[in-house]
Amino acid sequence: MENIQTEKLEVTQKPSARSTKINLNILSVWGPPIIALVLFLLIWQFGTLLLQIPPYIMPKPTDVLAATIENWSRLVNSATTTILESVIGFVFSVLIGVSAAIIMASSKILERSLYPYAILLQTIPIVAIAPIIVIWFGSGMNAIVIIAFTIGFFPMLSNTLIGLNATDRSMIDLLSLYKASKWQIMWKIRIPAALPYIVAGLKISCTLAIIGAIVGEYIAGIGGGDGGLGYAITVASTTMEIPYLFACGIAASILGIVFFLLVSLFSKLVLGSWHESEMKKER
Amino acid sequence: MVTESTVVNKVSTQVESSQSVVRMTDVGKVFPNGNVAVNNINIDISAGEFISFVGPSGCGKSTIFKMISGLIDNTKGNIEILGSDMNDTGQKRTDVGFVFQDATLLPWRSVLDNVMLPLEFQKMSKQEKKQEALRALELVGLEDYTKSLPRQLSGGMRMRVSIARALVAKPKLLLMDEPFGALDEITRQSLQTELLRIWEKQKMTVLFITHNVFEAVYLSTRIAVMTPSPGKIASTVDVPLAFPRNDEIRTTHQFSDIVAQVSHDLKF
Ligand SMILES: Nc1ncnc2c1ncn2[C@@H]1O[C@H](COP(=O)(O)OP(=O)(O)OP(=O)(O)O)[C@@H](O)[C@H]1O
Ligand SMILES: [Mg+2]
Repeated sequence: MENIQTEKLEVTQKPSARSTKINLNILSVWGPPIIALVLFLLIWQFGTLLLQIPPYIMPKPTDVLAATIENWSRLVNSATTTILESVIGFVFSVLIGVSAAIIMASSKILERSLYPYAILLQTIPIVAIAPIIVIWFGSGMNAIVIIAFTIGFFPMLSNTLIGLNATDRSMIDLLSLYKASKWQIMWKIRIPAALPYIVAGLKISCTLAIIGAIVGEYIAGIGGGDGGLGYAITVASTTMEIPYLFACGIAASILGIVFFLLVSLFSKLVLGSWHESEMKKER
Repeated sequence: MVTESTVVNKVSTQVESSQSVVRMTDVGKVFPNGNVAVNNINIDISAGEFISFVGPSGCGKSTIFKMISGLIDNTKGNIEILGSDMNDTGQKRTDVGFVFQDATLLPWRSVLDNVMLPLEFQKMSKQEKKQEALRALELVGLEDYTKSLPRQLSGGMRMRVSIARALVAKPKLLLMDEPFGALDEITRQSLQTELLRIWEKQKMTVLFITHNVFEAVYLSTRIAVMTPSPGKIASTVDVPLAFPRNDEIRTTHQFSDIVAQVSHDLKF
């Protein structure tokens, strides 16, 4: 077994060299966008000041900041409501999307008969069906969760289905040799092999769920508690609280970013050890 | 699909030497699209043989292996597989191991978990499964890499894991479809030597596919030479070289004579 020595694992990288590399990486990754953001805020601030645009048309960053501080508890309430709605909607779209994909992948007949309607559902604009959802489920939390679910469902379904159907043929042959059942093949091979696709679906659906919740609040009104960010935006626009309206919009996009980062972190944890898409840093 | 053939599996408690392990009589395979992959395959393989199938691409070598392992059905003739616990009524075929051309490891599983895979379909305690997997990994010299993931291994090591996985259920019959095709010459030769060592130790029957005549002669007790369109066995060549074989044997006259014989038969 002499030849084993020549096939040693490559685990030699000096830790010190690696950590300075990572520091440099952080700077080169975060530096440019932060500089761009600061520049953008400065131009916004001094541009509106110089052009003397009134705050009810275009508030300055400082106006937005002031409105945020002033209405902090209102903002936190609205954000909490929106988070709750979108998380519930997202969880449903993941659970139902993945289960539906598994069912369709296990039977070609089911896939052929159901998938076209899933695509059809996807092509109907959400604003067209939202009023119907409101009529069926009443205006409020339920309808909003269902709208968030509807938007996030299709990317989960189609991504998972593509992943399940893309499983390596020889791996399935391998399990057939052991006389594995259809469900054993699904559980031991197809679902793990589809994980990278499922995670890609999660990344799309999580931000869509926030958009769904906000659109839902727009149409279905108050939602839970005192209403979410979408509802707050409609109220702020009728009462001409434009700086607060901006604060709500920015809060919504921060929610989307945080949501996306959490899902990305999850993806690293799940796939980090083996899948290509999460291995770039090692190369 | 119309199948006029039957797979007959006799059950016996023990494989005695010189007993037939695989017997194919007039076996043919026509794919649903009309491709005639093989026609009239006749071969009788005895227990303990190491038999190689050589032949040009597309002559039906993989098709024969898939029929023997039960992955696909033959459309003509009889395939008889003798051995203990072998029948075709849905029981697990732990008596047949299969090594594919690429290692076909599950990238999300550690080396140990990959090797344990075939045992997961058997009734056996977790501890026993682990012991068996470790034993198989020792056989291929990878007992120190149980926790590694496949992508952390070299191509040669991945193939060893794949061989360990095929051996873990102690098969009587091992099918290897061009297992070393993707490896460099040095790794290939060391794996050949190791495979022979394992074969002698485990006393199993090995069926081996290769494009490489030298590899076939070095490894085999017998070589089945195949010709294409439609695929058939043109001749079988005995390899009377003594075991254990070492690298020196590759340069003997006897070795090159057999290589010449096989190459000659390939050109028909
Ligand atoms: N699923 C299939 N459907 C139709 N034809 C097939 C199928 N699989 C193989 N064939 C045909 O059967 C013939 C034999 O194929 P096979 O894979 O057994 O060849 P092979 O000898 O293993 O070749 P190679 O050395 O390239 O692996 C080929 O002509 C091929 O086109
Ligand atoms: Mg082949």
